[in-house]
Amino acid sequence: MSTLAALKMVKVPPNSASVEEARKRTLEFFKLACRSLPSVMEIYNLDDVVTVSHLRSSISSQIRKNAHIANPKVIDLLLFKATEELSNIVTHSKQRHHVIGQYVLGQEGLTQDMGAKDQGISEFLKQFYTSNYF
Amino acid sequence: MASALRGAILGHVRVPIRTLDRSRSLSCLQTSIRSMSSHGDDHLTREEVVDRVLDVVKSFPKVDPAKVTPDVHFQADLGLDSLDNVEIVMALEEEFKLEIPDKEADQIISCPLAIEYIAAHPMAS
Repeated sequence: MSTLAALKMVKVPPNSASVEEARKRTLEFFKLACRSLPSVMEIYNLDDVVTVSHLRSSISSQIRKNAHIANPKVIDLLLFKATEELSNIVTHSKQRHHVIGQYVLGQEGLTQDMGAKDQGISEFLKQFYTSNYF
Repeated sequence: MASALRGAILGHVRVPIRTLDRSRSLSCLQTSIRSMSSHGDDHLTREEVVDRVLDVVKSFPKVDPAKVTPDVHFQADLGLDSLDNVEIVMALEEEFKLEIPDKEADQIISCPLAIEYIAAHPMAS
């Protein structure tokens, strides 16, 4: 937790010399994020909504989305944004619906209709709007 | 000034130490066997470690549970990449309530190594 507090003093670290060093810093950031997940679950009362492993997977998939980048400066900037986001979440500057929307549901869950309303209804009701005769 | 005086006096006063007469008291009270202590119970057995490690690896979403054996290599056999490896190590840290330093976490790249490390770790629970 002390390293977490130290990193939250938003200082800008020097640029990575190579992609390899940037890669190590990414993995360190990922570990830091995973270690702060239990406190995040407690702050936002996410115990009924999601498990820690689900959150870990969503963090890793977001990291993997940028895995193709080869420029170490770009990677550094992405890490800076990620650290800023992590510090916002850990210091409770975000709210529960932000965390649920961005990390539990993901981009698809927010933009598309996941059909949560249609879960338990009957066939009759599902076709109600389309036609009377089926 | 009074405190300095007090300090000086206390530095010179010596209270005589009285040793207990051990030979007279009951010897069964002086033994070091604590029969009701559960202090040594929190060591994990090896098969429990193996079971729990395999459970963690099997419940990883990208892993096919049928392929998981106690001697599987994460990147070679299960087709994961280094980020997945780190994620599995973090999942193991959470399961066994450990904190694995970076150098050793980098070397945990297969199931047998993970089982070795956790079984040898004194704080695993």
